[in-house]
Amino acid sequence: MSNSSGMQERKIGSIMVIGGGIGGVQASLDLADSGYKVYLVDRRAAIGGTMAQLDKTFPTNDCSMCILAPKLVDAGRHQNIEIITMADVDKVEGEPGMFKVRVKKNPRFVDESKCTGCGSCWNNCPVRNEPQEEEIVKPELEEKDLEKISVLIGNNENGRGVLVPLLQDINLEYGYLPENVLKYVSAELHIPLSQIYNIATFYKGFSLTPRGRYIISVCLGTACHVRGGQRIAERLERDLGIKIGETTSDLNFTLEAVRCLGCCGLAPVVTVGNDLYGKMNQVKVAKTVEKYKG
Amino acid sequence: MAKYRMHLMLCAGTGCVSNKSIKISEVLEKELKKHKLEAEILVVLTGCNGFCAQGPIMVVHPDEIFYQMLTERDIPHLVEEHFLKGRPVRKLMYTPPKEKTPVPKMSDIGFFKEQRLVALRNRGLIDPEKIDEYIARDGYSALARALTSMTPETIIKEIKDSGLRGRGGAGFPTGRKWEFAARAKAEEKYIICNADEGDPGAFMDRSIVESDPHSVLEGMTIGAMAIGARHGYIYIRSEYPIAVERMRKAIKQAREYGLLGEDILGTEFEFEVSVHQGAGAFVCGEETSLIASLEGRPPEPRIRPPFPAQSGLWGKPTNINNVETWANVPEIINRGASWYSQLGTDTSKGTKVFSLVGKVKNTGLIEVPMGITLRKIIYDIGGGILEDKKFKAIQTGGPSGGCIPEKLLDLPIDYEKLTEVGSIMGSGGMIVMDEDTCMVDVARYFVDFLRGESCGKCTSCREGLESMYQVLTGICEGKGKEDDVELLQELGAAIKDGSMCALGGTAANPVLSTIRYFENEYQSHIRDQRCPAGVCRELIQYLIDREECTGCLLCVKNCPGNAISGKRKEPVHLDQEKCIKCGVCLEVCKFKAVLVE
Repeated sequence: MSNSSGMQERKIGSIMVIGGGIGGVQASLDLADSGYKVYLVDRRAAIGGTMAQLDKTFPTNDCSMCILAPKLVDAGRHQNIEIITMADVDKVEGEPGMFKVRVKKNPRFVDESKCTGCGSCWNNCPVRNEPQEEEIVKPELEEKDLEKISVLIGNNENGRGVLVPLLQDINLEYGYLPENVLKYVSAELHIPLSQIYNIATFYKGFSLTPRGRYIISVCLGTACHVRGGQRIAERLERDLGIKIGETTSDLNFTLEAVRCLGCCGLAPVVTVGNDLYGKMNQVKVAKTVEKYKG
Repeated sequence: MAKYRMHLMLCAGTGCVSNKSIKISEVLEKELKKHKLEAEILVVLTGCNGFCAQGPIMVVHPDEIFYQMLTERDIPHLVEEHFLKGRPVRKLMYTPPKEKTPVPKMSDIGFFKEQRLVALRNRGLIDPEKIDEYIARDGYSALARALTSMTPETIIKEIKDSGLRGRGGAGFPTGRKWEFAARAKAEEKYIICNADEGDPGAFMDRSIVESDPHSVLEGMTIGAMAIGARHGYIYIRSEYPIAVERMRKAIKQAREYGLLGEDILGTEFEFEVSVHQGAGAFVCGEETSLIASLEGRPPEPRIRPPFPAQSGLWGKPTNINNVETWANVPEIINRGASWYSQLGTDTSKGTKVFSLVGKVKNTGLIEVPMGITLRKIIYDIGGGILEDKKFKAIQTGGPSGGCIPEKLLDLPIDYEKLTEVGSIMGSGGMIVMDEDTCMVDVARYFVDFLRGESCGKCTSCREGLESMYQVLTGICEGKGKEDDVELLQELGAAIKDGSMCALGGTAANPVLSTIRYFENEYQSHIRDQRCPAGVCRELIQYLIDREECTGCLLCVKNCPGNAISGKRKEPVHLDQEKCIKCGVCLEVCKFKAVLVE
């Protein structure tokens, strides 16, 4: 090894790493960093191996994805690494320094150079969705609900991107998103219920449980936080006997925390229903809420 | 149009409306009628004036007299004295802290003096619900110019030459972004205005939409012409109901005037805009997730490329800009790129709107040229720290930004300088923190915010933030370990590298920057079990100063846990066993007799 520094100025040849698990990825990165062209071959559709499926690593309980993800990204972007997935090594010939490998690449049916990994083909695959559609049963709604919903669906009938505005209308009408209404919408618009739930639970603006007559929102934006918004939220929790996100048993109040109402000049801010109150403190807020009781 | 002797510009932004400015306008009208002044004096409800802390605000033109903190009861006196007899009412004017004489003119007030209005050029001067007033202030003249005497190429060149950069946070040159979208070949293209202002502590987009919606529409129409789009969307967050309403009205008016729709201004150009209301998700501010949300998909970001300029809304080339960016466009077209690029620094041209909030005397919205120092903003415009306490840090850039300490106050701010010191420009929130703000608690606050808003697609962001939150909570509760700071730094690096979008990519900034500048605060939490700012509940105790306590019993009355007891006119006693550390005693005490240790 003593003369290697003088001899090895220009790296020649290439190396094939078989198996794209954490070991293979690390080996490829090290080799590629030291200047070799690396072919990383894996039988599966993606590199990452078993570690990508684990939550924690033994024995340190580190998050495994946190260790793996940066390496995967590096390997994917490295100029010296060529990743060959869905491939089997068919035959290895030759000797060290002069191997000849035949790799059989299985078809993927997706152009890898164009795919962005958005997942919409997976979501929209009709074959996968077909069995679900058959199970859909339109729930029986009461006459008045039926009327309301048809109007709301009618209002939003311009086709694309309809789901969010429709759910907003339903949320406004009922104060929350009733389960049977969502099921009805799902059947009516041919949108899988799972997709509706995905949207309904993603946004803070939607609730799946009935909410109170007055919604108290305590602003916990940064400006309100540094001026004591958290204490105000805690005071209301104590006074009303509920936690943030809950509704009082008489359905009068729902307590919510909101991240910035954009009235930072008046911090800390609380809204009750449609009324906004600025420059609050624990004593003032208790008195303010008192007005809405009973 | 009738001529009026005086115009009363009453602020009707969200802040002032909550302080009953609408009610005040009704009383004003009534009083003016009583004195038969209604033909001479006009009341105008304007958008946000910016000086929100002093609301409700009214500026009297032509003399520019600035009245503040008005109540219904002040109005009869004010109308009689000033508007009838011509004697401005001094006690309703603004008096700077520590001074005795009030400042009558708005432009003489420190808060307004250093400002340079471009994006906010019409604030407080027009009624945002009347298109005529916008037009009277040269509104839509830039559009007319663009449509009649400019080509898409010259528009893009003008914007490029002006040096305007995206005001949403990342600071990408706007002209180049337009160029990408303009070059993309497609039958349909889209323009989007991002008004999903999620950063806590920032409200410039809300203010612009509320006070001058037409400037955004005009900017978008010019942009649409430049890239060749026929349809635009404005994505406004649901927390801003007034902004949504005003924008809808503005679109309707523009359509009636032939400034939107088909054959705009008699040319063949057509452009339509619709408003889309958000439903409460911070991540929707990220452009790819905003597009997903518009399409009705779960708003999860995706990998770029392809950039929206190649494949955006419905797979078509799309150009997204922030509200403030759009509002700047008409002014640049009107006054020219060379005028705009005179303002600001070498790399960051023009002005920037900041929301100056937190522990500062004058809170509100300000627009200043790039390159101004933080010290000037906090002390000259902001009037210094509340109650003259000691400045500790200023947080910029929202949850993706960082905290900047006192030693860097002379930093001239632009995109690059802020990044250098570990923060970012972001959308322009500036939260001032004083000695009573605990930096560990602030870091924990932001991580808590982001952990709730992470969409969960990337594991490192979802799980990493959760782990960080647990470590920080441990430190705040006095259970921190020696190597926690190192662990936080390691986690921060992992989140940054392993996340797809900017939310995760910058999520560690608040933690890393507080460690960088305030590591001693972390150490005193961990080693000495002490919270120097007196915030972290598990590490503090409330005490009564027996010398100062007058025995007014206000704290006894308000204590929710009955932990304080005592007799009138004798110092009270606080029972530590019963104290739940809610801090209400500190809040109500008028004699500074409650101490925090």
